Amino acid sequence: MTAVREAHAGVLAGTVGHPRKRRPRYALIGSKAAYLYVAPFFVVFAIFGLYPLLYTGWISLHDVSLLNINKMTWVGFHNYTSLWTNHFFLNALTNTITIGIISAVPQLLMALGIAHLLNYRMKGSIAFRIAMLMPYATSVVATTLIFGELYSRDFGFVNWFLHFFGVEPINWVNAPKWQSQLAVASIVIWRWTGYNALIYLAGMQAIPHELYEAAAIDGANRWQQFRKITIPSLRPTILFTVVVSTIGSMQMFAEPYLFGSGTNGGGNGQYQTLTLYLYQQGWQYNHLGFAAAVAWTMLVVCLVLVIINAMLTNARGRRG
Amino acid sequence: MFMTSRRARMAIGVAAVAAMAVAGCSSKSKTSAPASSSPAGSSSPAASASGSASAAWDCGDNGQKITLKIGLFGNFAYKTAGLYDKYQQLCPNITIQEDDIEQSGDYWNKLKTNLAAGSGLDDIQAIEVGFVAQVTANYADKFVDFNTVPNAAQIKSTFYPWKWQMATSTDGKTVGLGTDAGPEAMCFRQDLLKAAGLPNDRNTLAQQWSTWDGFINFGKQYKQKTGKAFIDSVNSIFNAAVYQGNEAYDNAQGKPDVENSDGVKKAWQLAVQAAQAGITAKINQWTKDWNQSFASGTFATISCPAWMLAYITSQAGDAGKGKWDVTSLPGGAANWGGSWLGVPKGGPHEKAAIALATWLTAPAQQLTMWTSQHFWPSSQAAAQDPSVKTATSDYFNNAPIGEIFGNSAANLKMPPIGPYDTDIQTALDTELGNVEQQGKNPQQAWNDALAKIKQVTGS
Amino acid sequence: MATLEQTIRTVPRRRRRSSAAGRQLTAGPFTYIVLILVTVISVFPLYYTMVIGSHTNSEMAKSPPPFSVNTSLFDNMREALKQQPLFRDILNSIFVSGMITLGTVAFCTLSGFAFAKLRFRGNKILFGLTLGTTLIPPQLGVIPLYMYMAKLGWIHHLQAVILPNLVSAFGVFFMRQYLVNAMPTELLEAGWVDGASTFRIFRTIVLPIARPAMAVLAMLTFLFAWNDFFWPLLVLNSHNATVQVGLAGLGQGYIPQQNIIMAGTMLCTFPLLVVFVVLGKQIVGGIMQGAVKG
Repeated sequence: MTAVREAHAGVLAGTVGHPRKRRPRYALIGSKAAYLYVAPFFVVFAIFGLYPLLYTGWISLHDVSLLNINKMTWVGFHNYTSLWTNHFFLNALTNTITIGIISAVPQLLMALGIAHLLNYRMKGSIAFRIAMLMPYATSVVATTLIFGELYSRDFGFVNWFLHFFGVEPINWVNAPKWQSQLAVASIVIWRWTGYNALIYLAGMQAIPHELYEAAAIDGANRWQQFRKITIPSLRPTILFTVVVSTIGSMQMFAEPYLFGSGTNGGGNGQYQTLTLYLYQQGWQYNHLGFAAAVAWTMLVVCLVLVIINAMLTNARGRRG
Repeated sequence: MFMTSRRARMAIGVAAVAAMAVAGCSSKSKTSAPASSSPAGSSSPAASASGSASAAWDCGDNGQKITLKIGLFGNFAYKTAGLYDKYQQLCPNITIQEDDIEQSGDYWNKLKTNLAAGSGLDDIQAIEVGFVAQVTANYADKFVDFNTVPNAAQIKSTFYPWKWQMATSTDGKTVGLGTDAGPEAMCFRQDLLKAAGLPNDRNTLAQQWSTWDGFINFGKQYKQKTGKAFIDSVNSIFNAAVYQGNEAYDNAQGKPDVENSDGVKKAWQLAVQAAQAGITAKINQWTKDWNQSFASGTFATISCPAWMLAYITSQAGDAGKGKWDVTSLPGGAANWGGSWLGVPKGGPHEKAAIALATWLTAPAQQLTMWTSQHFWPSSQAAAQDPSVKTATSDYFNNAPIGEIFGNSAANLKMPPIGPYDTDIQTALDTELGNVEQQGKNPQQAWNDALAKIKQVTGS
Repeated sequence: MATLEQTIRTVPRRRRRSSAAGRQLTAGPFTYIVLILVTVISVFPLYYTMVIGSHTNSEMAKSPPPFSVNTSLFDNMREALKQQPLFRDILNSIFVSGMITLGTVAFCTLSGFAFAKLRFRGNKILFGLTLGTTLIPPQLGVIPLYMYMAKLGWIHHLQAVILPNLVSAFGVFFMRQYLVNAMPTELLEAGWVDGASTFRIFRTIVLPIARPAMAVLAMLTFLFAWNDFFWPLLVLNSHNATVQVGLAGLGQGYIPQQNIIMAGTMLCTFPLLVVFVVLGKQIVGGIMQGAVKG
């Protein structure tokens, strides 16, 4: 999750910054040396990045057991055909999407609001920012363990809090689907909202104040300014963070794995995500070939997301 | 029910070790000490049951100084029980080095990759019941066959036949020597039963609880009188009762056969019955909530293999002393747990490793492990020693644990095991948890469990 | 529309200028109330970790749950360390994350520079390839990667975690975007005319200019490596773990006890949080700079 998040934070930094890409002017110096510069990266990248990605596709056409990785039996597309009728896979796919949505939407909305507030001149603004970034500095594993405690059925803080509202103790790790998913999503929301707020804040600070001044002269109130100036200016950032969050949830693993402490993701698979399913198939049930098919399918889903990403950026570029 | 593979494995067998991980190696060892039985002659047993002559012991070291690495998980407590020191007196050339991994799931992951890669193996590798069938099915060739070692017949004769059989592949290779076993009993809070105005004497209970139906009916009374849960979890009933059938998860060929298994059917039906009667505390075993509830008296009974005694002691602490008691398991004897020691073939010190594994699992040493750590011997020679039979536990209200577990061990039915047992059990346990905690329709739960099992077996 | 390089340089300045000019709107009480609430929500779970971590097992099993810090913290930490050698895991993590950071920053600066400033055949294609892969979750390649590591006998060794993470496509992209604008091409050409070798040019001209972006990349990479869980979980175990794997092992241990787990979580988390608070200003700045767009 982190990797992609940060990757995208950076992508924002680069591409979104200039809709009309400035062509780099190359220095007219030793072009042969250039290969030496890129070689270390590409050698490592090819071995550990690109090749495994492609080889996953080849493995997915085989039956391979974790117990005997040297023996690959050709099965053609069998792993794929069984995938699309497999209700556990489809369940994981749906869960991945719904958890992604219920973690991303509130998270990004709140981040936007918080960023707006942080953008006011105030005392202790740095202290607020640091405090809000503390969840981000807490690892996913630690965060999930902490929330596991907060959500404990009999002695947890959340159920104790809810009992004031007449709510019976909820067994969050094995509750009806929406409840369990909400609990898992809350882990993501807690950890990432502050971070996203800072990203939005950075964007807001880059908006020229003249725009607000002009709007104020036209009689726009603060809310109108927020809607008419801040939001449109931040649109590329927002679009990207939405897509980024979606890709992030494609990779969601630690939260569902440690929250329910197991690969089932809840007694009824309420929050078994795709990555969790991949892990269960490959490393618990030893079906590496099948797991490779899951991975490759996830790859396709990701590529679709990338294309959507590109289309959204283009649409925005045209409008700009 | 959210048992991970690792927790499930632990639940099945390692637990022997698991229990001791806390009781034995942690600061809690102090509190667990009272749990120890007070066997009649605690100084003599090792000598009396000795099956392996110590006079002319062949260390297999060829007179050279060697270090043997022994790969274990959890805490086998050999060090605590002083067995390494003792062996090093017997074989001064040999240094023993433990390569211990806390969790059996981690341990098995490492072992299976090492076996597949053929490297990184220790001289001795522990194998537990959760994956012994995987080893015999896939890796029997990679371990020394204990039917071919010197004195094989004599060694074999000291073990329970079923213990030997479980570690034997279909083509007759025996991959390991048994360490402990897990005959089961029923642990109960005699103080809570008394407070509820119900019988709390272990002999009376043994009669009233001779069948699971009787047990569940008793539980309904308890629930009615106190409003509290009677037993910790449906798992407690299911995991015990499933091993009382002729078949558990597999048929005689070791192939998964859940749908036709009498053990599974009966255990499932009992567990559902208990869940619907509302007598369970609705807690999944081996979870944080479960551990906390030992201290708070949330439930009055739990089915307990021998190794569970130390677990209960460590979780309930000093405050539980004298409150807990033990009686026989409803529905007859059953086994839950146990491990073996295997020797990977072609290691640099194969001969010395065989000698050490043989010595560690010999009756005299198994007896030491019982007196020191409460591991029930998988050696029938050791189990028949008078000091085992007469053992009582003052933590458990002076219950005659030697007799209770001894009876269970003597009457065990050992259904065939298979390579997928751990994951199959997890699937069934999970769905039972849904029936228990969410009121899921049992038929639906059963179908879902079967679908999940198909995921595991890949068929 | 600020470029990355402009932003890195100008964000602090702009902030200073705007507040000095008093153009920024001043926060009202509502803003403070909301932000304080958010702060409380951000910090409370961390405080509660300490609360639970400082109670014994039976003290916690109460209603209402405890709210204040108790006395058993160090006992619980000692118990956690007995169950899992977290200090060794932390050292492992420092080593692993450090190596990954070094490798990533070095390799990515080198090729980022080449892509930004050097003309060579395949420049665009290779860069496009790099760019494309930033959007693909790396864990989709874990199966063959795992099989490699198994065949090499590297499973359960730290290099299995370090090597695949030594490079980052994002890092290359990040460095390139920065250098494209921050590095005046004329300066390079001047050096070239003076007869300096390309390597010397890199060392004496490029590196000083690249330094701020390298620092941001280093911070992001270190945090990523420190938090990484999925791949380390596959190739390591609690016997030789990174801090995340060790902590997860503690959380799923034989006898999972909330107070012990929370005490262990504190051990693994709080040192980093202290660093975070001390260097807070710089880190906040770094993250905002790494993220800024117009």
